[in-house]
Amino acid sequence: MDIETVKERAGPRQFGPNDDMPEEYRKAATRMIQFHANSEVMGGYLDKEFTRHAPSLDRKLANTAKVQDEIGHAQLLYRAAETLGVKTRDEMLDELQNGEGKFLNCFHYPVDSWYEAPMIDFFVDGGAMRRQATLKSTSWTPYAHAMDKVCFEEGFHVKHGESILRELMRGSKATQERTQETFEEWWPRILQFFGPTNDQSTHNDFAMDVGLKTVTNDELRNSFLNMYVPKAEKYGLEIPESPRIFERDDGTMAVRESDLDWDEFWTIAKNDSDGSHEQIGSRARRQEAVAWVRDSLDNWEGSAAGTPQAAD
Amino acid sequence: MIWEVFRQEKPGDYHRHVGNVHAPDRDMAKLFAQIQHARRMQTNSLWVVPQEEVGEVDTEDAAFGGRTDKAYRWAMTYNDIDSSFAQEVEDSEAEQREAARKRREQLESEGQR
Ligand SMILES: [Fe+2]
Ligand SMILES: [Fe+2]
Repeated sequence: MDIETVKERAGPRQFGPNDDMPEEYRKAATRMIQFHANSEVMGGYLDKEFTRHAPSLDRKLANTAKVQDEIGHAQLLYRAAETLGVKTRDEMLDELQNGEGKFLNCFHYPVDSWYEAPMIDFFVDGGAMRRQATLKSTSWTPYAHAMDKVCFEEGFHVKHGESILRELMRGSKATQERTQETFEEWWPRILQFFGPTNDQSTHNDFAMDVGLKTVTNDELRNSFLNMYVPKAEKYGLEIPESPRIFERDDGTMAVRESDLDWDEFWTIAKNDSDGSHEQIGSRARRQEAVAWVRDSLDNWEGSAAGTPQAAD
Repeated sequence: MIWEVFRQEKPGDYHRHVGNVHAPDRDMAKLFAQIQHARRMQTNSLWVVPQEEVGEVDTEDAAFGGRTDKAYRWAMTYNDIDSSFAQEVEDSEAEQREAARKRREQLESEGQR
Protein backbone atom coordinates (compact mmCIF):
# COMPACT_ATOMS: atom_id res chain seq x y z
CA MET A 1 0.00 0.00 0.00
CA ASP A 2 1.36 3.45 -0.76
CA ILE A 3 1.05 6.44 1.52
CA GLU A 4 -1.68 8.06 -0.56
CA THR A 5 -3.86 4.95 -0.31
CA VAL A 6 -3.22 4.80 3.43
CA LYS A 7 -4.37 8.40 3.82
CA GLU A 8 -7.44 7.75 1.73
CA ARG A 9 -8.43 4.63 3.63
CA ALA A 10 -7.46 5.96 7.08
CA GLY A 11 -10.18 5.40 9.67
CA PRO A 12 -10.87 3.57 12.93
CA ARG A 13 -9.33 0.07 12.99
CA GLN A 14 -8.63 0.15 9.27
CA PHE A 15 -5.23 -1.56 9.15
CA GLY A 16 -3.74 -4.68 10.69
CA PRO A 17 -0.88 -7.15 10.42
CA ASN A 18 -2.28 -8.60 7.19
CA ASP A 19 -2.00 -5.29 5.39
CA ASP A 20 1.13 -4.39 3.57
CA MET A 21 1.79 -1.02 5.20
CA PRO A 22 4.43 1.43 3.99
CA GLU A 23 7.50 1.85 6.14
CA GLU A 24 6.62 5.42 7.02
CA TYR A 25 3.35 4.29 8.59
CA ARG A 26 4.92 1.37 10.42
CA LYS A 27 7.67 3.57 11.83
CA ALA A 28 5.29 6.29 12.94
CA ALA A 29 2.97 3.79 14.59
CA THR A 30 5.89 2.05 16.29
CA ARG A 31 7.19 5.36 17.62
CA MET A 32 3.78 6.23 19.01
CA ILE A 33 2.94 2.85 20.57
CA GLN A 34 6.44 2.35 21.96
CA PHE A 35 6.21 5.78 23.61
CA HIS A 36 2.86 4.79 25.07
CA ALA A 37 4.16 1.41 26.30
CA ASN A 38 7.25 3.02 27.85
CA SER A 39 4.99 5.50 29.62
CA GLU A 40 2.96 2.68 31.15
CA VAL A 41 6.15 1.12 32.52
CA MET A 42 7.53 4.38 33.86
CA GLY A 43 4.14 5.40 35.23
CA GLY A 44 3.92 2.09 37.03
CA TYR A 45 7.40 2.52 38.45
CA LEU A 46 6.55 5.98 39.69
CA ASP A 47 3.23 4.91 41.12
CA LYS A 48 4.65 2.04 43.12
CA GLU A 49 6.29 4.62 45.42
CA PHE A 50 2.85 5.51 46.70
CA THR A 51 2.23 2.06 48.13
CA ARG A 52 4.78 2.86 50.83
CA HIS A 53 3.26 6.27 51.56
CA ALA A 54 -0.40 5.23 51.43
CA PRO A 55 -2.11 5.95 54.76
CA SER A 56 -4.29 2.84 54.97
CA LEU A 57 -4.33 -0.80 54.00
CA ASP A 58 -7.16 -0.19 51.52
CA ARG A 59 -5.17 2.49 49.77
CA LYS A 60 -2.08 0.29 49.68
CA LEU A 61 -4.05 -2.56 48.13
CA ALA A 62 -5.69 -0.31 45.56
CA ASN A 63 -2.36 1.23 44.69
CA THR A 64 -0.71 -2.14 44.22
CA ALA A 65 -3.60 -3.21 41.98
CA LYS A 66 -3.17 -0.07 39.90
CA VAL A 67 0.56 -0.64 39.46
CA GLN A 68 -0.17 -4.19 38.36
CA ASP A 69 -2.66 -2.84 35.80
CA GLU A 70 -0.13 -0.33 34.42
CA ILE A 71 2.56 -2.95 33.89
CA GLY A 72 -0.09 -5.08 32.18
CA HIS A 73 -0.89 -2.14 29.88
CA ALA A 74 2.77 -1.96 28.95
CA GLN A 75 2.79 -5.65 28.04
CA LEU A 76 -0.27 -5.25 25.81
CA LEU A 77 1.20 -2.24 24.10
CA TYR A 78 4.62 -3.76 23.41
CA ARG A 79 2.78 -6.64 21.75
CA ALA A 80 0.74 -4.19 19.67
CA ALA A 81 3.94 -2.37 18.68
CA GLU A 82 5.68 -5.62 17.73
CA THR A 83 2.94 -6.42 15.22
CA LEU A 84 4.29 -3.57 13.06
CA GLY A 85 7.47 -5.54 12.44
CA VAL A 86 9.81 -2.64 13.12
CA LYS A 87 11.17 -3.51 16.57
CA THR A 88 10.98 -6.49 18.89
CA ARG A 89 9.84 -6.23 22.48
CA ASP A 90 13.38 -6.93 23.67
CA GLU A 91 14.71 -4.09 21.57
CA MET A 92 12.15 -1.69 22.99
CA LEU A 93 12.83 -2.77 26.57
CA ASP A 94 16.57 -2.40 25.98
CA GLU A 95 16.04 1.09 24.62
CA LEU A 96 14.10 2.04 27.71
CA GLN A 97 16.87 0.65 29.90
CA ASN A 98 19.73 2.40 28.11
CA GLY A 99 17.99 5.77 28.14
CA GLU A 100 16.98 5.99 24.47
CA GLY A 101 13.33 5.12 25.02
CA LYS A 102 11.04 8.14 25.34
CA PHE A 103 8.03 8.50 27.65
CA LEU A 104 5.56 11.01 29.07
CA ASN A 105 6.91 14.14 30.72
CA CYS A 106 5.05 13.63 34.02
CA PHE A 107 6.90 10.40 34.72
CA HIS A 108 10.27 12.15 34.72
CA TYR A 109 9.62 13.71 38.13
CA PRO A 110 10.49 11.47 41.09
CA VAL A 111 7.80 11.43 43.80
CA ASP A 112 8.17 11.08 47.53
CA SER A 113 4.90 11.94 49.25
CA TRP A 114 1.30 10.82 49.38
CA TYR A 115 0.16 14.33 48.40
CA GLU A 116 1.50 13.60 44.94
CA ALA A 117 -0.67 10.50 44.54
CA PRO A 118 -3.81 12.31 43.31
CA MET A 119 -1.73 14.49 40.97
CA ILE A 120 -0.73 11.34 39.13
CA ASP A 121 -3.68 9.06 39.78
CA PHE A 122 -6.42 11.57 39.18
CA PHE A 123 -5.07 14.30 36.90
CA VAL A 124 -2.44 12.43 34.90
CA ASP A 125 -4.46 9.21 34.62
CA GLY A 126 -7.51 11.32 33.83
CA GLY A 127 -5.66 13.10 31.04
CA ALA A 128 -4.22 9.82 29.80
CA MET A 129 -7.65 8.28 29.78
CA ARG A 130 -9.03 11.16 27.70
CA ARG A 131 -6.38 10.43 25.13
CA GLN A 132 -6.71 6.66 25.35
CA ALA A 133 -10.45 6.75 24.80
CA THR A 134 -9.84 8.54 21.48
CA LEU A 135 -7.25 5.91 20.55
CA LYS A 136 -9.94 3.24 20.48
CA SER A 137 -10.47 4.70 17.00
CA THR A 138 -6.86 4.55 15.89
CA SER A 139 -6.22 3.04 12.47
CA TRP A 140 -3.80 0.33 13.70
CA THR A 141 -6.18 -2.40 14.88
CA PRO A 142 -3.92 -4.13 17.43
CA TYR A 143 -3.43 -0.74 19.09
CA ALA A 144 -7.19 -0.15 19.24
CA HIS A 145 -7.72 -3.60 20.74
CA ALA A 146 -5.17 -2.85 23.46
CA MET A 147 -7.10 0.35 24.22
CA ASP A 148 -10.32 -1.62 24.74
CA LYS A 149 -8.78 -3.43 27.69
CA VAL A 150 -6.83 -0.45 28.98
CA CYS A 151 -9.93 1.77 29.08
CA PHE A 152 -11.90 -0.99 30.79
CA GLU A 153 -9.41 -0.82 33.67
CA GLU A 154 -8.63 2.87 33.80
CA GLY A 155 -11.97 3.93 35.25
CA PHE A 156 -10.84 2.45 38.56
CA HIS A 157 -7.58 4.42 38.47
CA VAL A 158 -9.25 7.75 37.87
CA LYS A 159 -11.99 7.23 40.44
CA HIS A 160 -9.54 5.99 43.04
CA GLY A 161 -7.33 9.00 42.30
CA GLU A 162 -10.25 11.35 42.77
CA SER A 163 -11.19 9.59 45.97
CA ILE A 164 -7.66 10.28 47.33
CA LEU A 165 -7.93 13.94 46.38
CA ARG A 166 -11.30 14.20 48.07
CA GLU A 167 -9.97 12.61 51.23
CA LEU A 168 -6.96 14.92 51.38
CA MET A 169 -9.05 18.04 50.77
CA ARG A 170 -11.35 17.05 53.62
CA GLY A 171 -8.36 16.64 55.93
CA SER A 172 -6.83 19.13 58.34
CA LYS A 173 -5.97 22.66 57.28
CA ALA A 174 -2.32 21.63 57.05
CA THR A 175 -3.18 18.69 54.82
CA GLN A 176 -5.21 20.90 52.54
CA GLU A 177 -2.36 23.37 52.28
CA ARG A 178 0.16 20.68 51.47
CA THR A 179 -2.17 19.33 48.80
CA GLN A 180 -2.58 22.80 47.31
CA GLU A 181 1.21 23.32 47.25
CA THR A 182 1.73 19.98 45.57
CA PHE A 183 -0.98 20.80 43.07
CA GLU A 184 0.75 24.07 42.16
CA GLU A 185 3.95 22.21 41.55
CA TRP A 186 2.30 19.61 39.34
CA TRP A 187 -0.25 21.73 37.46
CA PRO A 188 2.09 23.08 34.73
CA ARG A 189 3.48 19.58 34.15
CA ILE A 190 -0.02 18.24 33.81
CA LEU A 191 -0.87 20.89 31.23
CA GLN A 192 2.27 20.00 29.31
CA PHE A 193 1.26 16.36 29.36
CA PHE A 194 -0.64 16.98 26.13
CA GLY A 195 2.43 18.37 24.41
CA PRO A 196 2.84 21.65 22.57
CA THR A 197 0.19 23.12 20.28
CA ASN A 198 -0.43 21.35 17.07
CA ASP A 199 1.67 23.42 14.70
CA GLN A 200 4.77 22.95 16.87
CA SER A 201 4.52 19.19 16.98
CA THR A 202 6.47 17.51 14.21
CA HIS A 203 4.91 14.05 14.15
CA ASN A 204 1.39 15.23 14.69
CA ASP A 205 0.22 15.92 11.15
CA PHE A 206 1.31 12.64 9.69
CA ALA A 207 -0.19 10.67 12.56
CA MET A 208 -3.50 12.46 11.99
CA ASP A 209 -3.39 11.98 8.22
CA VAL A 210 -2.99 8.22 8.49
CA GLY A 211 -5.54 7.87 11.29
CA LEU A 212 -3.13 6.84 14.04
CA LYS A 213 -4.36 9.83 16.02
CA THR A 214 -7.86 11.17 15.71
CA VAL A 215 -7.78 14.18 18.00
CA THR A 216 -5.18 16.94 18.26
CA ASN A 217 -3.14 17.70 21.38
CA ASP A 218 -4.88 21.02 21.62
CA GLU A 219 -8.38 19.54 21.54
CA LEU A 220 -7.41 16.99 24.15
CA ARG A 221 -5.96 19.57 26.51
CA ASN A 222 -8.99 21.78 26.19
CA SER A 223 -11.48 19.04 26.83
CA PHE A 224 -9.32 18.01 29.78
CA LEU A 225 -9.47 21.55 31.16
CA ASN A 226 -13.21 21.70 30.76
CA MET A 227 -13.66 18.54 32.77
CA TYR A 228 -10.89 18.67 35.34
CA VAL A 229 -10.73 22.34 36.32
CA PRO A 230 -14.26 22.17 37.78
CA LYS A 231 -13.26 18.98 39.60
CA ALA A 232 -10.19 20.62 41.14
CA GLU A 233 -12.28 23.57 42.23
CA LYS A 234 -15.00 21.36 43.59
CA TYR A 235 -12.56 19.98 46.14
CA GLY A 236 -11.27 23.43 47.03
CA LEU A 237 -8.07 23.51 45.00
CA GLU A 238 -7.16 26.90 43.60
CA ILE A 239 -5.98 26.99 40.01
CA PRO A 240 -2.61 28.82 39.97
CA GLU A 241 -2.55 32.22 38.25
CA SER A 242 0.15 31.14 35.90
CA PRO A 243 -0.06 29.49 33.40
CA ARG A 244 -3.06 31.63 32.51
CA ILE A 245 -6.24 29.78 31.65
CA PHE A 246 -8.75 31.65 29.53
CA GLU A 247 -12.13 31.10 28.04
CA ARG A 248 -12.49 31.11 24.30
CA ASP A 249 -15.42 32.57 22.39
CA ASP A 250 -17.12 29.20 22.24
CA GLY A 251 -16.95 28.88 26.02
CA THR A 252 -14.23 26.22 26.08
CA MET A 253 -11.06 26.69 28.09
CA ALA A 254 -7.54 27.09 26.82
CA VAL A 255 -4.10 27.77 28.27
CA ARG A 256 -1.60 30.49 27.35
CA GLU A 257 1.13 28.21 26.23
CA SER A 258 3.81 30.87 26.46
CA ASP A 259 3.37 30.70 30.24
CA LEU A 260 4.70 27.15 30.30
CA ASP A 261 8.38 26.23 30.58
CA TRP A 262 9.11 24.57 27.26
CA ASP A 263 12.86 24.43 27.86
CA GLU A 264 12.18 22.06 30.71
CA PHE A 265 9.74 20.14 28.53
CA TRP A 266 12.22 19.65 25.70
CA THR A 267 15.03 18.72 28.10
CA ILE A 268 12.75 16.04 29.45
CA ALA A 269 11.81 15.00 25.92
CA LYS A 270 15.51 14.24 25.41
CA ASN A 271 15.58 12.18 28.65
CA ASP A 272 18.04 14.72 29.96
CA SER A 273 16.63 16.28 33.13
CA ASP A 274 17.92 15.24 36.56
CA GLY A 275 14.61 13.51 37.13
CA SER A 276 14.92 11.64 33.84
CA HIS A 277 18.29 10.28 34.86
CA GLU A 278 16.98 9.29 38.26
CA GLN A 279 13.84 7.55 36.99
CA ILE A 280 15.49 5.80 34.05
CA GLY A 281 18.42 4.80 36.26
CA SER A 282 16.37 3.32 39.06
CA ARG A 283 14.21 1.39 36.65
CA ALA A 284 17.29 0.15 34.78
CA ARG A 285 18.80 -1.10 38.04
CA ARG A 286 15.64 -3.04 38.87
CA GLN A 287 15.48 -4.44 35.36
CA GLU A 288 19.05 -5.62 35.92
CA ALA A 289 18.17 -7.16 39.29
CA VAL A 290 15.52 -9.42 37.77
CA ALA A 291 17.55 -10.40 34.69
CA TRP A 292 17.85 -13.91 36.14
CA VAL A 293 14.07 -14.37 35.84
CA ARG A 294 14.08 -13.48 32.16
CA ASP A 295 17.14 -15.64 31.58
CA SER A 296 15.62 -18.69 33.17
CA LEU A 297 12.43 -18.23 31.13
CA ASP A 298 14.48 -17.93 27.95
CA ASN A 299 16.56 -20.99 28.81
CA TRP A 300 13.43 -22.98 29.47
CA GLU A 301 11.87 -21.88 26.20
CA GLY A 302 15.04 -22.81 24.34
CA SER A 303 15.32 -26.23 25.96
CA ALA A 304 13.39 -29.29 24.80
CA ALA A 305 11.10 -29.11 27.83
CA GLY A 306 9.60 -25.77 26.88
CA THR A 307 9.19 -26.38 23.17
CA PRO A 308 5.75 -27.66 22.21
CA GLN A 309 5.71 -30.55 19.80
CA ALA A 310 4.81 -28.74 16.61
CA ALA A 311 2.08 -30.43 14.64
CA ASP A 312 2.42 -30.18 10.90
CA MET B 1 -7.64 -33.86 12.76
CA ILE B 2 -9.74 -31.13 14.35
CA TRP B 3 -9.22 -27.43 13.70
CA GLU B 4 -10.73 -24.67 15.81
CA VAL B 5 -12.21 -21.84 13.76
CA PHE B 6 -12.21 -18.15 14.59
CA ARG B 7 -14.20 -15.67 12.55
CA GLN B 8 -13.77 -11.93 12.25
CA GLU B 9 -16.84 -10.17 10.94
CA LYS B 10 -15.48 -6.80 10.02
CA PRO B 11 -11.99 -5.34 9.68
CA GLY B 12 -10.93 -4.13 13.09
CA ASP B 13 -13.11 -6.62 15.01
CA TYR B 14 -11.79 -9.43 17.17
CA HIS B 15 -11.57 -12.96 15.79
CA ARG B 16 -14.18 -14.89 17.77
CA HIS B 17 -14.37 -18.62 18.21
CA VAL B 18 -17.24 -20.00 16.17
CA GLY B 19 -16.69 -23.77 16.17
CA ASN B 20 -14.42 -26.38 14.62
CA VAL B 21 -13.99 -28.56 11.57
CA HIS B 22 -12.44 -31.92 10.64
CA ALA B 23 -9.70 -31.57 8.06
CA PRO B 24 -6.56 -33.49 7.07
CA ASP B 25 -4.36 -30.39 6.76
CA ARG B 26 -4.29 -26.62 7.11
CA ASP B 27 -5.38 -25.85 3.57
CA MET B 28 -8.36 -28.16 3.78
CA ALA B 29 -9.19 -26.73 7.19
CA LYS B 30 -9.30 -23.23 5.69
CA LEU B 31 -11.55 -24.45 2.92
CA PHE B 32 -13.95 -26.29 5.27
CA ALA B 33 -14.00 -23.38 7.68
CA GLN B 34 -14.94 -21.12 4.84
CA ILE B 35 -17.76 -23.38 3.76
CA GLN B 36 -19.09 -24.09 7.24
CA HIS B 37 -18.61 -20.84 9.01
CA ALA B 38 -18.39 -18.10 6.41
CA ARG B 39 -20.84 -19.11 3.77
CA ARG B 40 -23.78 -17.21 5.19
CA MET B 41 -22.24 -15.19 7.95
CA GLN B 42 -20.65 -11.84 7.37
CA THR B 43 -16.92 -12.52 7.34
CA ASN B 44 -13.79 -10.55 6.79
CA SER B 45 -11.22 -13.13 7.89
CA LEU B 46 -10.97 -16.64 9.34
CA TRP B 47 -8.31 -18.31 11.47
CA VAL B 48 -7.88 -22.04 11.79
CA VAL B 49 -5.85 -23.52 14.64
CA PRO B 50 -5.04 -27.21 15.29
CA GLN B 51 -7.11 -28.19 18.30
CA GLU B 52 -4.20 -29.88 20.08
CA GLU B 53 -2.25 -26.63 19.90
CA VAL B 54 -4.84 -24.90 22.06
CA GLY B 55 -3.94 -24.83 25.75
CA GLU B 56 -6.87 -24.75 28.13
CA VAL B 57 -7.28 -23.88 31.78
CA ASP B 58 -10.80 -24.07 33.22
CA THR B 59 -12.67 -23.58 36.49
CA GLU B 60 -11.53 -27.01 37.67
CA ASP B 61 -7.90 -25.92 37.47
CA ALA B 62 -8.11 -22.32 38.50
CA ALA B 63 -10.03 -19.85 40.63
CA PHE B 64 -10.43 -17.18 37.98
CA GLY B 65 -10.33 -13.67 39.32
CA GLY B 66 -9.50 -15.18 42.69
CA ARG B 67 -11.93 -15.96 45.46
CA THR B 68 -10.85 -13.19 47.80
CA ASP B 69 -12.62 -9.87 48.03
CA LYS B 70 -10.84 -7.44 45.77
CA ALA B 71 -13.39 -4.66 45.88
CA TYR B 72 -10.58 -2.13 46.04
CA ARG B 73 -9.78 -2.69 42.38
CA TRP B 74 -13.22 -1.91 40.98
CA ALA B 75 -14.41 1.53 39.95
CA MET B 76 -17.83 0.94 41.58
CA THR B 77 -16.22 0.69 45.01
CA TYR B 78 -15.52 4.41 44.94
CA ASN B 79 -19.20 5.21 44.81
CA ASP B 80 -18.84 8.50 46.63
CA ILE B 81 -17.14 9.70 43.44
CA ASP B 82 -19.30 10.76 40.54
CA SER B 83 -17.89 9.47 37.26
CA SER B 84 -20.39 11.19 35.00
CA PHE B 85 -18.12 14.19 34.39
CA ALA B 86 -16.06 12.25 31.85
CA GLN B 87 -17.66 9.94 29.31
CA GLU B 88 -14.68 7.61 29.23
CA VAL B 89 -14.66 7.14 33.01
CA GLU B 90 -18.38 6.49 33.00
CA ASP B 91 -18.02 3.97 30.15
CA SER B 92 -15.23 2.18 31.94
CA GLU B 93 -17.27 1.93 35.11
CA ALA B 94 -20.24 0.57 33.17
CA GLU B 95 -18.04 -2.12 31.61
CA GLN B 96 -16.63 -3.02 35.01
CA ARG B 97 -20.09 -3.18 36.54
CA GLU B 98 -21.18 -5.56 33.81
CA ALA B 99 -18.09 -7.75 34.28
CA ALA B 100 -18.68 -7.84 38.04
CA ARG B 101 -22.31 -8.80 37.54
CA LYS B 102 -21.39 -11.73 35.27
CA ARG B 103 -18.75 -12.82 37.73
CA ARG B 104 -21.20 -12.68 40.64
CA GLU B 105 -23.66 -14.81 38.68
CA GLN B 106 -20.94 -17.34 37.99
CA LEU B 107 -20.00 -17.53 41.67
CA GLU B 108 -23.64 -17.93 42.66
CA SER B 109 -24.25 -20.71 40.18
CA GLU B 110 -21.11 -22.47 41.43
CA GLY B 111 -22.41 -22.17 44.97
CA GLN B 112 -25.62 -23.94 43.97
CA ARG B 113 -23.79 -26.86 42.43
FE1 LIG C 1 -2.34 2.62 32.06
FE1 LIG D 1 -3.80 4.16 34.79
